[in-house]
Amino acid sequence: MRLGLAIDLDTCVGCHACAVACKEWNGASLMGGAPDYDAHGKAPSGVWYNRIRHFEIEGDPAFSPHRCGSTEPHPHPNLPLEGEGTHVPLSKTVNVPMSCMHCEEAHCVTVCPTGASYKRAEDGIVLVDPNRCMGCNYCAWACPYGARELDENAGVMKKCTLCVDRIYDQQLPEEERQPACVLACPTHARHFGDYDDPQSKVSQLAAQRGRQSMLDELGYKPTNAYLSPRAPAQVMPSLPVRSGLSEKAKAFVNRLIQL
Amino acid sequence: MKPALSVIFFTVFSGAGLGLLIWTLIASTMPQHIRMDAATFYKAIGIALVLTTAGLLSSTLHLANRKNAVYALTRWKTSWLSREGVFALLLYPLVAAHLFVIHSGYASLAPFTMLKVIACALAILFCTGMIYGCLPTVPRWNTWMTPAKYVVFGLMSGAVLFTSALSLRPVEVGPIRTPMMALVFLALGIVLYFAYLLRYPRAHTIESALGVKQGRVRMLDVGHSHGTFLTHEFGFQLARDKAHLLRWLSILWAFVIPFALLAWSQWYWVATVFCIAGLLVERWLFFAEAQHVVRLYHGQRVV
Ligand code: SF4
Ligand code: SF4
Repeated sequence: MRLGLAIDLDTCVGCHACAVACKEWNGASLMGGAPDYDAHGKAPSGVWYNRIRHFEIEGDPAFSPHRCGSTEPHPHPNLPLEGEGTHVPLSKTVNVPMSCMHCEEAHCVTVCPTGASYKRAEDGIVLVDPNRCMGCNYCAWACPYGARELDENAGVMKKCTLCVDRIYDQQLPEEERQPACVLACPTHARHFGDYDDPQSKVSQLAAQRGRQSMLDELGYKPTNAYLSPRAPAQVMPSLPVRSGLSEKAKAFVNRLIQL
Repeated sequence: MKPALSVIFFTVFSGAGLGLLIWTLIASTMPQHIRMDAATFYKAIGIALVLTTAGLLSSTLHLANRKNAVYALTRWKTSWLSREGVFALLLYPLVAAHLFVIHSGYASLAPFTMLKVIACALAILFCTGMIYGCLPTVPRWNTWMTPAKYVVFGLMSGAVLFTSALSLRPVEVGPIRTPMMALVFLALGIVLYFAYLLRYPRAHTIESALGVKQGRVRMLDVGHSHGTFLTHEFGFQLARDKAHLLRWLSILWAFVIPFALLAWSQWYWVATVFCIAGLLVERWLFFAEAQHVVRLYHGQRVV
């Protein structure tokens, strides 16, 4: 098995519900624990297994086909033509929730000197054994995706467990044996499944939609897929041409009002 | 990357200690060229071991959970950090074995045990460099020059230090001749340092971080209101003018001044202090200037 997530960059609205659900489930769990520091103070911080980042993309036809090739600066008189603040109108906002990708070439595991970090042979989940970890941060250095955060209270590394303590739990009803983030997502932008099974929902989605290359050139082979945005439907705005007597009267009144 | 003082001290001091160990052992095999009495030999070995040990101990200071540090010796098959630990612990019995051999008159075994110590010391230096050099996530480090720098700088500072240690010998042994090895390695060191500075291995962009093939990406919001572990560990930003100043300081202190002092004066200890101080600055820059690709996911355009 090769368990992982498929995250839809098209439907994600960036509401952070997945991160909150993750924090709720894992905050005090046996598997991890994700502490907060100074939660109600001036500079709240803490460990999150999942963080959502927001980007704007302009000029890539895959993201915004109507404006493809519009790398020209926007000719609006009030906008500068060069540099920051130069806008091509109608660019696409993408929200990118990021957690451990459970990479196939998990370099974070290779570099770990203690063997605390490991990748499970049976399902590919990458985990940290808190009873072995010495808190050297080396694995966090080796992760390109910022998926690992040190728990300063316990002195050990923490990361997404793919809710390994939910997905196999026979006490839970079957439809709830999924990661907390997947269950929480209000737009169903997150899917969970086995990438080794070509019939699984995640495999199908990744095949149909295509996946974004997230620093694939580094060679980590992430298991999670970020589904590429779909081409939006072409909408051609056109006003119906009406020229009855009443329309003319309305137009006349409108013009009077605007005088 | 955040420049952690414990790691900076560790790499510079244990590097110099290991270099000193290597040169002292090599010098002990050529009494016709480098005259060294037994007391000086032991003093040099002593200094080397103290520096190496102090460095290794300081490297454990940055561990958040030291009680599990013993496990760090278990993954030597895959992890350079683990390999470094294994070789570091191996060094002490090897040195002890060598000292025992030269003491108890098994002179025929001495070259064999000595080579073991030298190989082990070189291996530690190389592993330290590979800890950083093997990370594809930090392009600045991800080159063969990183381990080469660690080995050459270790041998270099060790050679400068060895000249100082040699000056501890009694006057009747005679004056010290120009320390050629130190000069050669200082020259090699500066060439390697410039090569490292001039050749940036590769760059990644914020577009490649999101798989955007054309067009431009910019960050709208990073998603957190205050610092996180990631910004703390990888967000270090060095002001450019400060970097320039420190760069020239490190070049002067680590290479140029020691070279001049060793070539034209007898101020060996001053040269050593400058060399070590310069390497501390260099090592600080090594961390402060390296950037991790996760910065792309925090809005930086190129890493
Ligand atoms: S995303 Fe990071 S922590 Fe997760 S498996 Fe990949 S390299 Fe390791
Ligand atoms: S912080 Fe823990 S899990 Fe990460 S490399 Fe160090 S020992 Fe391994």
